[in-house]
Order: sequence, then structure tokens, then C-alpha cells
Amino acid sequence: MGALEAASDGLLAARAADGDSVAFGVLVRRLAPALRAYAARLTGSSADADDAVQEALIAAWGALPGLDDPGKVRSWLFSIVSRKATDRIRARRPTVELDAERDEDTAAGPEQRAVASSRLDALAAVLDGLPDGQRQCWVLKEMGGFSYEEIAEQLGMSVTTVRGKLARARVSVVREMEAWR
Amino acid sequence: MTNDDDDIGGSGYSLADLSDYLDRGRQPAIPAIDSNPECQAMLASLDRVAGLSRELVARDAAEAPPVDESWVGALLSSIGRELRAGRDIPFAASDPGTRLTITEGAVRELVRAAGDSVEGVLVGTCSIEGDVTEPGAEVTVALTISIVLSAPVTQLAQAVRDRVRTELLKHTELQVGAIDVTVADVHLWLAEEDR
Repeated sequence: MGALEAASDGLLAARAADGDSVAFGVLVRRLAPALRAYAARLTGSSADADDAVQEALIAAWGALPGLDDPGKVRSWLFSIVSRKATDRIRARRPTVELDAERDEDTAAGPEQRAVASSRLDALAAVLDGLPDGQRQCWVLKEMGGFSYEEIAEQLGMSVTTVRGKLARARVSVVREMEAWR
Repeated sequence: MTNDDDDIGGSGYSLADLSDYLDRGRQPAIPAIDSNPECQAMLASLDRVAGLSRELVARDAAEAPPVDESWVGALLSSIGRELRAGRDIPFAASDPGTRLTITEGAVRELVRAAGDSVEGVLVGTCSIEGDVTEPGAEVTVALTISIVLSAPVTQLAQAVRDRVRTELLKHTELQVGAIDVTVADVHLWLAEEDR
């Protein structure tokens, strides 16, 4: 093994597509922390994030031979994780009505965020304080790079709803990050 | 939402419109937005917080504890049930009542190991072209490699060809014709402490 640690993501993906599970393991160790971090921001739950990442990686192994450009394996994995994570979000949907109400108020006050020690901590606090639907739209858009249409499809919402949630999320984030310019 | 967000700086455009505009890469250009200082400030803020979001994921990942080996092990053993065996490659049987084969997946494994054994080489893709199920039919082996720029490329590629041919001769009955090696990537040695 060992030497494979030096290989590019693309080479590891190409070998995994050919059936090399050792190369897949190296790729998993390399990318799992970022995939989990993304899924945790998206679902707001580290348990859901772990499950989504695990499911996504198992699905990815099966789908790898069909991946046209192994060099794009990283963004491809992020999109599979997004789908697995949003499947979980949709499955626990009964909270959706509550969410609609919460959309109207801004969550925790800015004074609580003044104690954040860095811009990134401040942003994390702002995101944690957003209503779930807004946060999910934000994460899929800004961290996942998906279009409104893709987000709407993944979250089972209309494009208009996504656009509205994203606009409200942006108002909150921009306002509350003003101090951290 | 307040009116401020519906009409930023008197431009007639809402925050949602500005978001769309940013997503489209500010194309086609809208002069009412481009010439409005408040819109410009808002676009810059939107851009900045989007960049920060990506930084946040990178930081979360960097600060996360290393991946638990037992988790990786469980994952790999669950995919192990779905290995890519490929075609069955027959050996000429000495006893007519038996049939002995090696899977294409195992041969690829052999080719990868042979290529990797050349110092400074890692094998990427590997395919065996031709009718491997027909004993005696000539097959072509094609592989891509990633190299460390330690020796001339042609020398590394030739070393890979030689090792692969030797291993295939030793462990299979394939009639190996050409072995096509494509250098597809360059990588660096790992730093000593990472080894």
C-alpha cells in the first residue's frame, strides 16, 4: 500500500473503477472528512451525516465504472452525498410545518454571535441558527454548487420556494456577517 | 423581509434578483445593478460569504479526527461482496473433467501489482482487450500510469512493459501481444514522514 497515498484522486478512482478496493480505501480515507463535514452542515446532524456518507460511498463503488472522468471523482462524490443526505432530510419531513413558521423569525440574536472567535466560527453560528430549510438551501447552493432546479428536486420543493428560502438565508447571513468584513 | 431587500439602493432589483445575477456570473450585464454602489456592495458581500462557506467545510474537514479505521474496514468489507470479477479466463486443463479459470479481475490485479513494482510508477486503469475466453487468442494489455519524474519516461514505460509481460507469462496462459502504456499523470514522492 503506502505508495498509493501519493496518487491523485483520479488515479485512485480509475483503479477503484477497475475493481481495486485498496485504492478505493485510500480515496475514502482522503475524502471522507470533507464529505462528512459537508453532510453535517447539510443535515444538521452528525449521525445522519455519517449514514449518508456511508451509503453514498457504497453506491459510488457500484457506480464508479460508469464515471466518465475519474478526475472529477471529488465533485461526483459530493453530489452523491448530497442526494443521500437530502433523502434523509425528506424522510424526517414531519418537521416541515414547524420549519415554515420558523422561517419568519430570525433565530438567535446577533449578540450571541459576538463571542465567536473567528469569521468561520461566526458563520457556523449563523448557519446553525437558520431554519432547517433555509440552511439546506444555502449549503446546497454555496457549498455544493447546485442550481435552484437541482436543489428543488433534491429537497422536494418548488423552485420558487427554494429561491425564497435562499434569499432569506442570504439576508440573514450577509447582515450577521457584516461585522466580520 | 423589509423593503430594503426588495429594492436595493433604489435599483429596482431585489436581493433575490442580485443572487440570481451573481449565479449567472453577472451576465448579461444589467447597467442598473452595475452602476449602483449599494448593489455592488451587496454583490461583494454575497460573494464573500459564499467563499467563506466553502472555507468552513474545508476547516471542518481539516479539524475532524482521522477517519476511524474500523469504519473504513466495515465499508470495504461491505463493497467486497460486489467485486468486479469480469470475464473468466480459462487455463488449458490437463484433466478433461476439470475446468480451471482465473478471473479478469485477478489478472488486472496482477498487472497493477507488476506495474506498481517499478520504482516511481503507479498504475491507473488497466484493460485486457481481445477474446480472453478463447485459449490461444492474442490479447492486448492497455494501461495508464502515473510516474514520479525520477527516470526518463521511456525507460519507466519499458520497465512496466517488461514486468507486466513477465508476470502474465508466469501466472496465466494468455498470449500477450502488445502492452500499451500511456503516461496519464505525474505524482510526487510522499514526504518521508508520511510514509
